[in-house]
Amino acid sequence: MSNDPGEAVRPTDAVGRLLFGAAKALAVFGGGLCCLMAAMVTVSVSGRYLFSAPIPGDYDLLAILSGCAAFAFLPYCQMTRGNVVVDFFTTNTSPRAKAVLDAVGTLLYLMVAILFAWRLYYGGLELRANAEVLANFNFYRWWTVPFDLVCMAVLIAAIAYTLVRDIDDARSGRPPAQAVVEEV
Amino acid sequence: MSDLRIGAVGFGVLLILIALRVPVAVSMLAVGTAGYVSIAGTIALLSYLKTEMYWRFTSPDLSVIPLFLMMGHFAARAGITTALFRAAAAWIGHLRGGLAMAAVGGCAAFGTVSGSSLATAAMMGQVALPELRRYKYAGGFATGTLAAGGTLGILIPPSIVLIIFAIIVEGNIVSLFQAAFIPGLVATAGYMVAIAIVTRLDPTAGPAGPRATMAERWKALRQVWTIGVIFLVVMGGIYSGIFTPTEGAGVGAAATFLAAVTHGGMRMQSFLDALVETASTSAMIFLILLGADVFNAFLGFSRLPLWTADLFQNSGLSPYLVVLGMILLYLALGCVMDSLAMILITIPIFWPIVAALDFGLDADQMKLWFGIITLSVVEIGLITPPVGLNVFVINSLAKDVPMAETFRGVVPFLMSDAVRVTLIVLFPTLSLLLPRLLG
Repeated sequence: MSNDPGEAVRPTDAVGRLLFGAAKALAVFGGGLCCLMAAMVTVSVSGRYLFSAPIPGDYDLLAILSGCAAFAFLPYCQMTRGNVVVDFFTTNTSPRAKAVLDAVGTLLYLMVAILFAWRLYYGGLELRANAEVLANFNFYRWWTVPFDLVCMAVLIAAIAYTLVRDIDDARSGRPPAQAVVEEV
Repeated sequence: MSDLRIGAVGFGVLLILIALRVPVAVSMLAVGTAGYVSIAGTIALLSYLKTEMYWRFTSPDLSVIPLFLMMGHFAARAGITTALFRAAAAWIGHLRGGLAMAAVGGCAAFGTVSGSSLATAAMMGQVALPELRRYKYAGGFATGTLAAGGTLGILIPPSIVLIIFAIIVEGNIVSLFQAAFIPGLVATAGYMVAIAIVTRLDPTAGPAGPRATMAERWKALRQVWTIGVIFLVVMGGIYSGIFTPTEGAGVGAAATFLAAVTHGGMRMQSFLDALVETASTSAMIFLILLGADVFNAFLGFSRLPLWTADLFQNSGLSPYLVVLGMILLYLALGCVMDSLAMILITIPIFWPIVAALDFGLDADQMKLWFGIITLSVVEIGLITPPVGLNVFVINSLAKDVPMAETFRGVVPFLMSDAVRVTLIVLFPTLSLLLPRLLG
């Protein structure tokens, strides 16, 4: 039995189920990358400490892995509405007003995500043109950008889906989806 | 409009959007990009955005965040909290209020491997609340203790909030972790003193628990060796400079993973849950950091931070009065806002102001001192009404205790917090001693 609080907001319609599944798969994949980072660091540190033989250039590789993981994490956070919201000033407004405000926020996010994804595509082309390679590896920097763009595409789909849900809620006056509480 | 005015308007719009339920990260991204365009122009923005997201996410500084989060999520599955509470209760549970003190001690110990307040409160709450209630502790006192004790999770390093602070002010994470250690111990001691005072005034609030034999005590203490080893390796390694925070976090995640599998009975489903939890929290933090980056690029162009810093520097106000004003503002904001968001919005304005004032400290010392003040103050927001998240979490574990009673139970700990923050402000040595000793 999963105790993931995100499961509580798993959508029931076909599109939502598909997006939720894709977002969750990416989240788990990103988590796997983090495990890989942890394993790599542990090997590198013990190698350095015990045999004075660290993994060369592990820092760059760590940054690359954590960058991919961060991109992979974004869609799930949106599907479970994990982004931090201040609802103190709007606690007493009607469910419909809340849904309208949520729709505005989601629309802003959609516009920003499309803008960033569009620019990232050109950024990736630039990285490829510069042909920058990681120190100590035959690994071109731009290699991970296509993956990042896939994540952005799923993210944009996820935001668009949540926007439709928000607009539905605003029309029907249903209380908006309860966000998953996240805080460190 | 002058750039300065655009900056001020942008800041105002940001606050309005946030108040209107727009996610904090999205507000920062939207206002940041719009402001960037109006000052630097479209071409500059489009070129800036090409690689901004890639480099922000692909940064060695940030790779430490998912690793520390993962370490905390594995630690939460390692059954460590039960062993910690049992051990502390065996040693001091027979005192008046002793079980509450044991819960606070357990939170502090768990804080040495967890950078999260909510997780600490929730994990320790599940273990300690039933025990406290069994020994007839007053409801609000028990829940208040755990809600306050949970903040030790983030006050005691590792601490995600400190990592974020270090990234914004370009400070040294290791020094900040070192600086936070003694204030974290002071906080723990302060909470225990608060418990002692409460139970002295009202002995029925926290009756003494059973007294354990010496043999039982040593046995209980031996059960917590895992966390001792993890703390020594991870934080010991970081403090002494054997490895970097990122390496410490990676090794810690691997170690807590093993502990969760061998001691906590973590299996596939629970492991996947830990990954997904890491994903959710990391995504939220990375997105808000990206937002802060774009927003701060815009603020930098507007020169608003410099202008406010000049204003305060030439105002002739006492430096301590300025810091007091900031602390009060944080307390007010903490009632309605998340601690990370609060830091990311305010520090880019506050830090230049504070850095320009003369407290008789050099720039590096200022970062440590002000970082610890900020950390201590924003965490208070987790236990103040109306939005005290720690209080919500603990209260959901104790359905029979009304929320208002828990908030009342938190009051003695808030007083202890007030004393501690005053001490940290007046005696920078508390924060600066350890970094100086450890170099």
